[in-house]
Amino acid sequence: MLSCQEVTERASDLIDGNLSTWDALQMRLHLAMCKGCDAFIGQLRMTRDVTRSVGEAECRHDPDDVRIDAILSQLHEAKRTDS
Amino acid sequence: MSRQARDEHDLVERLVAGERAAFEEVYRRHNAAMLRMCAGFVRNHATAEELVQETWIAVLRNIGGFEGRSSLAGWIYTILLNKARSRLRRDGRSVSFDESGEDNGLQAAFDGRGRWKDMPELWDEITPERVVAGRKVLEHVNAAIEALPSAQRAVLILRGQQGLDTAEVCAILEISEGNVRVLLHRARLAVRAALDRLQ
Repeated sequence: MLSCQEVTERASDLIDGNLSTWDALQMRLHLAMCKGCDAFIGQLRMTRDVTRSVGEAECRHDPDDVRIDAILSQLHEAKRTDS
Repeated sequence: MSRQARDEHDLVERLVAGERAAFEEVYRRHNAAMLRMCAGFVRNHATAEELVQETWIAVLRNIGGFEGRSSLAGWIYTILLNKARSRLRRDGRSVSFDESGEDNGLQAAFDGRGRWKDMPELWDEITPERVVAGRKVLEHVNAAIEALPSAQRAVLILRGQQGLDTAEVCAILEISEGNVRVLLHRARLAVRAALDRLQ
């Protein structure tokens, strides 16, 4: 039987679906009997989802027009020098 | 061609045509992530800003030659990493994946037989919706990501936030698949610890 420490080491592989059927089964067996590890896996899943949402939240900011203008004018300048 | 591939193909065509709205879309999707990842390598916000701006210019100048062998995102981050690498080389440094201080904060959580000393408990207060709605928690998570060693930070951003597949992350960072998994796990443990402190 896996120890709690071993379960935490394989936790990301479990929630990302990277474990073999046998390894995943061993994990699930432990989780069925261990409240602490079950809560830990729940926390890690939440961490994964929160991290993704935080990244998506940043994408919803309005793009910075000043910077975009600066990039496009530098691009224009670079192309003009090329030709 | 899948829907995603078709959308990307259309987006690339609009970029090639010089459509500003297309550039705004790509910029919005990646700029903040590029800055955060790059700052992890160069350790200087102004330099990161400069390199990200140079990357955008290179992307727009060369988009006509983009052949779709990787995803558009993979191509953009590869250009950024190459720019960061040459800047660091120029300054006599290198992109370091030094992961010293690997203690993930969990070693002390177990007894000699690998059992929890104090059992974790379910979080009542944290959901993605609440985190994003509350500016403070969102900043707390961002601060935790910014405190990560550069390689963990890069993997968490590319794989965990921008959704690039593992093979692309390996190619961009020039590390193995096993490494990507380990770095992603360590990064998550650090963010988990930061969230746990909020309870």
